[in-house]
Amino acid sequence: MQRRHVMNQINVIQLPLFSLLSFLLSCSQKTTPVERGISSQTLLIANQTEPQDLDPHIVTGVPEFHIMEALFEGLVIAEPKELQPVPGVARSWDLAADGLTWTFHLRNDAVWSNGDRVTAGDFRFSYQRILSPNLGSEYAYMHFCIEGAEAYNKGTITDFSKVGVDALDDTTLVMRLCRPTPYFLSLLAHHSFFPVHPATILKFGKIDTRGTVWTRPENFTGNGPFRLAAWEINRIIAVKKSETYWDRSSVRLREIDFFPIDNQQTEERSFRTGGVHVTANLAPGKIEWYRANRPEALRTDPYLGTYFYVVNVTKPPLDDPAVRRALSLAVDRAAIVRHILKGGQPPATCYTPPGTGGYHADSAVRFDTTEAKRLLAKAGYGPGGRSFPAVELLYNTSETHHTVAQAVQQMWKRHLGIEVTLVNQEWKVYLASKQRGRFGIARMGWIGDYNDPMTFLDMWVKDGGNNNSGWSHTRYDSLIAVAAATSDREARFAAFREAEALLLDEMPIVPVYFYTNVYLLHPAVKGWDPNLLNIHNYKYVYLEK
Amino acid sequence: MTTRRTERTGGATGGSLRRDGMRRFARNRIAVGGCLFLAVMAALSLCAPVVAPYAYDAQDLSLGATFASGKHWLGTDILGRDLFTRILYGGRVTFAVGVCATLVSVLIGVAWGSIAGWAGGKTDTVMMRFVDIAYAFPFTIFVIILMVFFERSLLLLFMAIGAVEWLTMARIVRGQVMALRQREFVEVAIGLGLSRTRIVLRHILPNIAGPVIVYATLTIPAVMLLEAFLSFLGLGVQPPASSWGILIREGAESMEEYPWLLVFPGILLSATLFSLNFIGDGLRDAFDPRTTRE
Repeated sequence: MQRRHVMNQINVIQLPLFSLLSFLLSCSQKTTPVERGISSQTLLIANQTEPQDLDPHIVTGVPEFHIMEALFEGLVIAEPKELQPVPGVARSWDLAADGLTWTFHLRNDAVWSNGDRVTAGDFRFSYQRILSPNLGSEYAYMHFCIEGAEAYNKGTITDFSKVGVDALDDTTLVMRLCRPTPYFLSLLAHHSFFPVHPATILKFGKIDTRGTVWTRPENFTGNGPFRLAAWEINRIIAVKKSETYWDRSSVRLREIDFFPIDNQQTEERSFRTGGVHVTANLAPGKIEWYRANRPEALRTDPYLGTYFYVVNVTKPPLDDPAVRRALSLAVDRAAIVRHILKGGQPPATCYTPPGTGGYHADSAVRFDTTEAKRLLAKAGYGPGGRSFPAVELLYNTSETHHTVAQAVQQMWKRHLGIEVTLVNQEWKVYLASKQRGRFGIARMGWIGDYNDPMTFLDMWVKDGGNNNSGWSHTRYDSLIAVAAATSDREARFAAFREAEALLLDEMPIVPVYFYTNVYLLHPAVKGWDPNLLNIHNYKYVYLEK
Repeated sequence: MTTRRTERTGGATGGSLRRDGMRRFARNRIAVGGCLFLAVMAALSLCAPVVAPYAYDAQDLSLGATFASGKHWLGTDILGRDLFTRILYGGRVTFAVGVCATLVSVLIGVAWGSIAGWAGGKTDTVMMRFVDIAYAFPFTIFVIILMVFFERSLLLLFMAIGAVEWLTMARIVRGQVMALRQREFVEVAIGLGLSRTRIVLRHILPNIAGPVIVYATLTIPAVMLLEAFLSFLGLGVQPPASSWGILIREGAESMEEYPWLLVFPGILLSATLFSLNFIGDGLRDAFDPRTTRE
């Protein structure tokens, strides 16, 4: 999942106006929205940005994911503490002896918000939809472990009955995989595996029409613990407890309001004045204050993600691995996390966050200026050599990225004598520049989609959808294929370890630090367990004084 | 003193007019104070590499943001950079933008306005309608488009701001030229058979110098504010270089944790803008022949 820190520009007019308004509000009313929410079981969430859409097969970002969790339910759901798969729409499941054929038994009482039953056929329809080439879903590759899925998505087969998804009857769904996938059940909790209501989709377009109005509140059909009640662009998305959800007796929240607040200062102020129960982030400068004054509200959860710089290896002088290694060696990661981020982030020692699915890569990233200078001199730059050509460092507009980039810029200047130019672009422009290779070095963040090293390592194969570095290596690709083909843990991890060592030797990426999730949470919010993927299934969440 | 209505027709009487103006200006204490303040700031900024105690991009991450102390007179920012140094270096950009963009706007505005005002008729209509259209065009969007399409550079920033700031100047100059055209001394000059270029350059322009200078001093603060605004949007100079606009933007982002990062650059920018406005007012009072004085 692509990680964005959203724009942090302060609107000159909005800011004083907002402070004034919130001040007036706090004067005129005795109770805050947060307090009223606690008595009425209404959870108020600061959710970064206006979502791209509410279609589980289209969206890719973290903010959208938080809304999807309320509106839909997959075959399995992730239990909130350890993220183990527990029954969702599927009551139970079996894996055949071949390790490839999964049979899911769906519950009888799972219904859509319009009263229709959720059937195995609906799931088959949904998987056909996300794999349709015309839908152009960015997450179609998550399904490629299913037999024939990749060929169907690439258009080499057009008959979906050749894809390994069969609905034997209304409650029996069989899926045949093309390779043993140890994390398959975790995949099913991801929103790309959520079902959509076929009749609703077909009412507003074809199976593979993108961006129809089916996601408008008046048309919306979901099967999650909540139903879509209101969607006002740039103001609020409100979901209310569903009266048709099979497990409605366990749902304790009556309503969840998602507010698109894309400024870290604003959401913090809103939290402080009783506007929201949960924020998405906390600006590094505020961490100290909360640690000292309101430690009960500050949360620093482990988060399965890496912050790194991706290097465009097609652009000289970055095409020289020695140069890339020198750049990496000159980054003082410990100083960045300790003095700038202050949120307990571990400095990167490798690329995959340690402990991902039990996997630990060998430490291969360090800070060593002498070695960095030596490598750069060997590559022919620096004192006595050629002067280093102009290189641009690209990042999406955000206070944190800006500060980190300036620190890195200065480290390269001080230790290597290299001048880089900083370029910041708005999120969508930045994504486009990255996709088209119009960058020298670009900041990236990658959050695991499931708890397995594969989610980090399979993106660097040749022509991988998210591999913008232009780098590829046949040995790397074959190691990832080896890891994908086996279910033996030792063999997989050995392949991953070798692949990652190769990646960090070639260095198309410069890892900087591993994320922690730093945010504010009102103490009255219960059942909001810290977990690696920042998944909080709202049916376990409630409010209590 | 009676109101002067004498026009300059050459160098002969101009000196005394100018001397009078200077005398009046020198008596205006606020304006002189503004001049002094600006001179000190400009000198400090210009000599930044000598005066500044640190390098403008030298970081001390372990120090972080600290309040003013003996070592760092105005404190340090989040990356541990000395704020005083950064203000001096930022002042260079801010002053350079102010002066250069104003010069660009004066050049275009005076040329455009005097041609339109002198030619009159259809030429005037076409040229001034163009100004009207350009007025109606949202200038921020224009600058942003320029910044997006061309390589970002300081020169482009000067040009872009100058290119949107000349419109008012053109109008003022046109009005002045049209009024002067009807005057006897111009008619005499025409009667003597002087070329049009010579009349405009030698006889008209010196007479409108007063309003032009006055308006130019008022343009400088407008331009500085515009640069601050563009930097606020991330379109100005690029890091690690800074301008006062950038310092204020970054200060505003952390004004609750580290208020001094906003307060110090804010005070300096305000003081500079006030000074420029006082000087502009003083110059207008001193030189504009139409202002009535006791």
